Amino acid sequence: MSVPPSAAVEIDHISKRYGRTVALDDVAFAVARGSVFALLGPNGAGKTTLLHILCTILKPDSGTARIGGIDVMQGPLKARSHLGVVFQEPSLDDRLTVVENLEFHGLVYGVPRTLRRQRIAEMLALVELETWRDTLVRALSSGMKRRLEIARALVHDSHILFLDEPTAGLDAQSRERMWQYLRDARGERDLTVIVTTHYIDEVENCDRVCIINNGRILANDTPAALKARHGYARLRVLPRDEATAAEFLATHADIATRQGEDIVLRSAGDAFTESFLARYGTRIRRLTVEEPSLESVFLSLTGHELRDQAAGARERTYAFGKRGGEHTR
Amino acid sequence: MSAIAGGLYAIWLREVKRAVRDRGQLIGGVVRPLLYVLIMGIGLNPYFRGEIYGEVRFVVPYTYVQFLFPAVIALNIMYTSVQSAVSVIWDREFGFLREVLVSPMPRTAILFGKILGGTTVALFHGALVLALARFADLPMTLADLALGLALMFLLAFALTSLGVVIANRIRSFEGFGVFSNVVILPLYFLSSSIFPLDPSLTSAQTRVIYPEWLVVLVELNPLTYAIDALRGAFIHFQQFDPRLGPLVLIVMSAVFFLTALLDFRRA
Repeated sequence: MSVPPSAAVEIDHISKRYGRTVALDDVAFAVARGSVFALLGPNGAGKTTLLHILCTILKPDSGTARIGGIDVMQGPLKARSHLGVVFQEPSLDDRLTVVENLEFHGLVYGVPRTLRRQRIAEMLALVELETWRDTLVRALSSGMKRRLEIARALVHDSHILFLDEPTAGLDAQSRERMWQYLRDARGERDLTVIVTTHYIDEVENCDRVCIINNGRILANDTPAALKARHGYARLRVLPRDEATAAEFLATHADIATRQGEDIVLRSAGDAFTESFLARYGTRIRRLTVEEPSLESVFLSLTGHELRDQAAGARERTYAFGKRGGEHTR
Repeated sequence: MSAIAGGLYAIWLREVKRAVRDRGQLIGGVVRPLLYVLIMGIGLNPYFRGEIYGEVRFVVPYTYVQFLFPAVIALNIMYTSVQSAVSVIWDREFGFLREVLVSPMPRTAILFGKILGGTTVALFHGALVLALARFADLPMTLADLALGLALMFLLAFALTSLGVVIANRIRSFEGFGVFSNVVILPLYFLSSSIFPLDPSLTSAQTRVIYPEWLVVLVELNPLTYAIDALRGAFIHFQQFDPRLGPLVLIVMSAVFFLTALLDFRRA
């Protein structure tokens, strides 16, 4: 394939606004071929808009986007043939069977018959849906539908896989399995994965994480580098009594917050922990040192927690999907 | 090129498969002609004679069932075409549209495949009516049948395209229900479908017998000429110039398809 060795996806100065709302503000990044790239941010951050621009179903106001070296504005059809897309809301035909959905996809992407049959069998095996081949899609669970969509996105010669919140609404077990399928798929072919999510724990295993908020990129680096630069350790303390709690909050006003019974302190390192223990060691019931996490990275970059918004965001997303999504308007 | 043909086939096949699995639609397609041809047609047949027009002694060269028959074909095509337009809304609401929008298929081909699928299903439902041909005593030859099917195809294509045009402008299933009652039925009743504008009268005389607004509406309705063309094929009788029917059908198909295409590319 004519995919250049360096970058699978390049985005340059992309901006997009809906009326007065700026969805994307001069966004630029590149995704290395064969890597797993995560777009992390709360709902409304612009992740889906960006993905829709890359899928060529939405035009940016300015800027360029390249997929495998092909400008998506100039050669949308050619760019799409490299792409596999899994949307936020299911886009299967639930009146067709599992295998019919895959057949449809193969035909539409122009996969020759022999290869099509072979790929369909392989992909059904990959996502463990062989026994459901001839079941109507409407009879599948939501986890199975997601798996089927991933299989579908891999039926043609896709080198770049876009997954928009692929694990939203799935239970922990299904989420873990989904990532396993993706790992397996990457073992079998040259595949770049771009995934949007608001589950921080899923991002830990990605090669690069791009944190996006209000249409702006705040950081774009490996998880380890992000944690080293923006993350911080936290001390989670359970004070012995209410008076102590009040004292902690008063003496460490700038770094302490209350979470239920616990007081969470932003730690400056081991020395801070030691001096804290020396001073208050007798007045606390429990103390935990929390290593720098992407959660803290996100918090220090945006000033707010991701998870707080995520729950509501998911409901909104579902309602949004039911209404038909944004480009159908 | 062959990739596009394959994609067209896939989109067409999907429409057909969905229609075959939709029992309700199939039952409607069978019951409707039974109602119209066997009950209404045969029931009204005796009341429909040339002699009843006072002084004008004109022997109408067809029975009422014969007259009604081509219109029932058109009705069946109409309902089914509208139904396939509902699937446009369905695809949009339930996300399937995205699957094809991000595929390497050009949008023209996507729309064409979709409309061709709907056309096929509508044509099939129209052809279901032909099974009742013996009850209507049609003087039909194989050549008539071929011509009739060709006209039916054009009609189905035009109406499916029209359905898609309207579906693109309607945001909900509920709105579509209203549409089908407000648009489809008047269009059908005003197409000289279940009562004829007397063929023996001149345009001026027709306006004396019928209220003028009715005559004007019937003459403005493109469906009038489509049904007239079908009558030409199936009962060898036409009120209008025989060239008019096919012409109107072709213009309708082109205009509605292009409108649907413009909408679709803009969306």
